[in-house]
Amino acid sequence: MGSAKKSAKDSGSGSAARKARIEEMRRAERSRERRNRILTIGVSVVIVAGLVVGATVLVRSQSDDDSTTAASDSKGTGKFVTGADGVKTWDTKLTQNHVTKTVNYPMEPPVGGDHNQVWMNCNGDVYTKAINNMNAVHSLEHGAVWVTYNSKASKTDIDALAAKVKKTPYTLMSPDDKQADPIMLSAWGKQRTVTSATDPNVDKFFSEFVQGDQTPEPGAACTNGLSQ
Amino acid sequence: MRAPWIAAAAVTALVAAGAITYAVADGDDSGMTAPAADSADAGFARDMAVHHQQAVEMSYIVRDRTDNEEIRRLAYDISQTQANQRGMLLGWLDLWELPKVSSDAPMTWMDMAGMADGKDGALMPGMATNTELTKLGKLSGKQAEVLYLQLMTEHHQGGIHMAEGCVKRCEVGVEKRLAQGMVNAQESEISLMAGMLKERGAKALS
Repeated sequence: MGSAKKSAKDSGSGSAARKARIEEMRRAERSRERRNRILTIGVSVVIVAGLVVGATVLVRSQSDDDSTTAASDSKGTGKFVTGADGVKTWDTKLTQNHVTKTVNYPMEPPVGGDHNQVWMNCNGDVYTKAINNMNAVHSLEHGAVWVTYNSKASKTDIDALAAKVKKTPYTLMSPDDKQADPIMLSAWGKQRTVTSATDPNVDKFFSEFVQGDQTPEPGAACTNGLSQ
Repeated sequence: MRAPWIAAAAVTALVAAGAITYAVADGDDSGMTAPAADSADAGFARDMAVHHQQAVEMSYIVRDRTDNEEIRRLAYDISQTQANQRGMLLGWLDLWELPKVSSDAPMTWMDMAGMADGKDGALMPGMATNTELTKLGKLSGKQAEVLYLQLMTEHHQGGIHMAEGCVKRCEVGVEKRLAQGMVNAQESEISLMAGMLKERGAKALS
């Protein structure tokens, strides 16, 4: 463009100048076309990228609607989010690999993550000694609700809860001195604290989560696993 | 220059919003109305019920052929889980008043008709032949354990593929969720079985 301008100025008036002007216009048009083409391609790329991102979100939301898809990181950066009903839900995917090594869970008692291949029997089983977290998590995967208590829980509450667990298949109960509150209830990805054995939230938690729709492996057994 | 950018951003936002709406709306009362007999929901319920039945059968066989605790527990887990899940699938077909069989080839609902030749009892991908099951019933100890792990690994691979078809195509939320659960659990079991095969100086067939 610079040279066309220059030549138009240099050659003064007449057909040479007109020719140069025409030539300059053509170049300008070619350059405009080139710019438009680049712009079109650029915009297309952006739109396609947008669609791909959108579609990925769509596909993920379709295939992961139960929040149990195996991810590679079991100790991720998740946290509990408390719902209006007081039930805490772990906010990231919990992994489901069977492992033999010790797993350090980011919550106590654990509500999910990698676990031992043997489940703790959870057919209304009451354990009086602490059980291995890695076996208990496998029971949660099978749809069990796990009742745990620490040394601050009263004997009355412990006895009442034990009686309830004993008549409820797909539940188990054990002491856990590392937990924060006296009585806690856990299911896969779910947890809450209750104030006593007669707290109405006990029945609510049982009815919602014993073989509830949080269960990663519906139909799996609570028998023939590990017992104390 | 600005307009196309805004358009692109708007398209992205629309697609994302649609996806979120879909995810939120998904899985509520979608199972209350009966799907069509040729739908993915009905097809998966029919075909996976058959596929699961063989895993149950195979697991019962190996429990009679070995005393190994680890194998017997794995077989117990698989047979309990798959027998129950099979009951769920058949129960849905009952509620929907749909037939348990179809004149279409297995997996037609996921455009995979003709995936298996159906010869010798292997009706769908991953299924063992009757000959293989008979062989399993005659072996004992470690030999039976290895064949079981090999056959079940293939069975899971075929099962995962079919379950992914439902995750993609099914519209009933509870069924889709069960299918996704099968994918996750069976993938985890495949890696568990790979370790068990290795301990026995063997490996998967494919």
